[in-house]
Amino acid sequence: MKLIDIIKTANSNLLRNKIRTFLTILAIFIGSFTIILNTAVNTGVNSFIDKQVASAGGDGYIEIAPAAMLAQIEGMMGGNNGPQEYNPEQNASELNYIDAETLTAIEDINGIIPGSVRPLRNVRVEYVTSNKTHTKWKLRVNELPSNNINIDLTAGNSPRTDSDQPEITLLPGFAEVLGFVDDAGAIGQTVTLAIKNQATGELINVDATVVGVQAPSVVSMGRSWLNAALNDRIFAASTKYLPAEYANRVMFATAEFDPEADLDFIKKGLEELNLSGMTIDDSIGMMKTFFDIILIVFSIFGGIALLAASIGIINTLLMSVQERTREIGLMKAMGLSSGKVFLSFSFEAISLGFWGSLLGIGLSMLVGNTANTIFHQPGMFLADFPTFSLVEFTPANCIIIALGIMFIAFLAGTLPAIKAARKNPIDALRYE
Amino acid sequence: MTKDLLLETYNLHKTYGKKSTKFDALCDIDLKINTGESVAIIGKSGSGKSTLMHLLALLDQPTTGTIKLHGTKTAELPARRLNRLRNHEFGFVFQQFFMNSNDSVLNNVILPLKIAGIGFRERKRRAIEALKIVELEDKIHAKANDLSGGQKQRVCIARAIVNNPKVIFADEPTGNLDTITGEKIMNILFKLNREKDITLIIVTHDEDIANRCRRQIRIQDGKITSDGKTQKGGAK
Ligand SMILES: Nc1ncnc2c1ncn2[C@@H]1O[C@H](COP(=O)(O)OP(=O)(O)O)[C@@H](O)[C@H]1O
Ligand SMILES: [Mg+2]
Repeated sequence: MKLIDIIKTANSNLLRNKIRTFLTILAIFIGSFTIILNTAVNTGVNSFIDKQVASAGGDGYIEIAPAAMLAQIEGMMGGNNGPQEYNPEQNASELNYIDAETLTAIEDINGIIPGSVRPLRNVRVEYVTSNKTHTKWKLRVNELPSNNINIDLTAGNSPRTDSDQPEITLLPGFAEVLGFVDDAGAIGQTVTLAIKNQATGELINVDATVVGVQAPSVVSMGRSWLNAALNDRIFAASTKYLPAEYANRVMFATAEFDPEADLDFIKKGLEELNLSGMTIDDSIGMMKTFFDIILIVFSIFGGIALLAASIGIINTLLMSVQERTREIGLMKAMGLSSGKVFLSFSFEAISLGFWGSLLGIGLSMLVGNTANTIFHQPGMFLADFPTFSLVEFTPANCIIIALGIMFIAFLAGTLPAIKAARKNPIDALRYE
Repeated sequence: MTKDLLLETYNLHKTYGKKSTKFDALCDIDLKINTGESVAIIGKSGSGKSTLMHLLALLDQPTTGTIKLHGTKTAELPARRLNRLRNHEFGFVFQQFFMNSNDSVLNNVILPLKIAGIGFRERKRRAIEALKIVELEDKIHAKANDLSGGQKQRVCIARAIVNNPKVIFADEPTGNLDTITGEKIMNILFKLNREKDITLIIVTHDEDIANRCRRQIRIQDGKITSDGKTQKGGAK
């Protein structure tokens, strides 16, 4: 028997009991739909992150924290280690601050650009306002650590990190509420940031010049970018009246390194100083790992659905073998080899897998793309991210998943197929 | 008529079951069948006729004894050769038809050709040829289920001859048919025997049918009780 005839026969046999076949395909479809949609969302998220990272740049920029701090965070998750005896020396090394001595030592690590090490001071702004309005607006800010990082802007420029003028970029929508004509009209204007002093609680005003307006982006995470000059002024306002020793504690530092330099070597150097460093690639990697774990969890659900579907395939085909006992016997009497009988039933299983995954691909594309369109409508949560497509169906993924499901279906079909192949023509013909 | 030796059996035994359920379905069967013969295997129900036919048709192996086809010991042939032999040289007609009742007449008839791996056009051409012989070419696209019993058996004969076999094995081919329809079926089979020199091996318990064969092998309780030329008449 020719392969094409075996495949055709397998498919027409499936059509003999349409409802049973349809239900089996439905079961496979549920599994394939879950896996394909889930993979498409993961691909969409990852490729969006990649696009953002590519546009963010940030090569040669590293964030530095005391290793003890990470150890403590891990310790919190790890639970209680029991009472530990006090040891002044060990406690000193577990300090959560980077002292001045260590800061200079970082500069000596081979590959770190001298003069680039800077304490990272997270600052808070109470509100922002301008002389064009009486309204006050909440604002979250971040210091722009390096001009290597590209910010998506709809107007103006990034704050210059090396400037001694206080500079800021605004988030979308702020230009209008602060009383400026539009985004372009906000450039060069002055805004006033109110800073709460940590000792007295009094509000101190710091003025800043708007140099740009940001486009929506995950990299900036809803924060306005400041340059170092502005950040320092805000820090000074908030720590005024505090003891200098307390005010000047450094929890995090940032540094630039030669992108050609050996990053592992730099990280080793930091480790020797009881510090740990993290590049943008590292944090993106952590974010991706998080999404990958979600992918795995949902894929397990899909896998369980497929397992149930496999039992459906076995059941369907066993019934089919039973019903067609005589026909199998007749064909074997007419010279059909056991191998071809096995193939024929295997193709029925593979066919079930094929149609189930095709249906899964088709419907998940429909559902995924529809959801994507809906979520990008104005007012929905993806409206501000036109470049983010919630689902991304790559042909390679679809083909790999479909082949995988067909293979699982084939495996499920082997039991009934072997049963059919072993049938003895005479017993089959005598079978009533 | 040629006198070529087609099938030989030596000391065939077929035992079913084991120990306490052991049952000798066939004992000491020695036979020689020539090409072009028409042979009736006749006996009561349960006497072992079908068992013998299955052995001769290489559908089953004897418990002991030897079967030779064209002088070759069949026990020594690999499964592939046996499958090919049955497909190319044998045609089968059964009492219960064994058709795919939801399929068309055409698809039922081409089954042996499909198994042989013959292409679509050639299959159809040969199916029409075979259906002409059984005078059913106008039913080629009919659903098998919609045919009468006699027509169904004629489709089965078309299926048996579509691959130009040398032997037709027929197990009670008229068992499910009335006398007149049965006679028509037998006429077709004997015509094939006469005109195409196809060897007929017909299992039956019907004396009238047996009488139309040139040779009669009588079986009782798994043993041959007589084997010889039909006395009066023979094949017409
Ligand atoms: N697979 C089997 N297992 C056990 N006994 C069998 C089997 N096949 C046939 N028999 C027995 O062998 C005897 C001969 O059967 P069979 O050749 O079908 O008889 P016939 O065709 O002459 O009616 C019967 O008694 C039958 O019950
Ligand atoms: Mg019988």
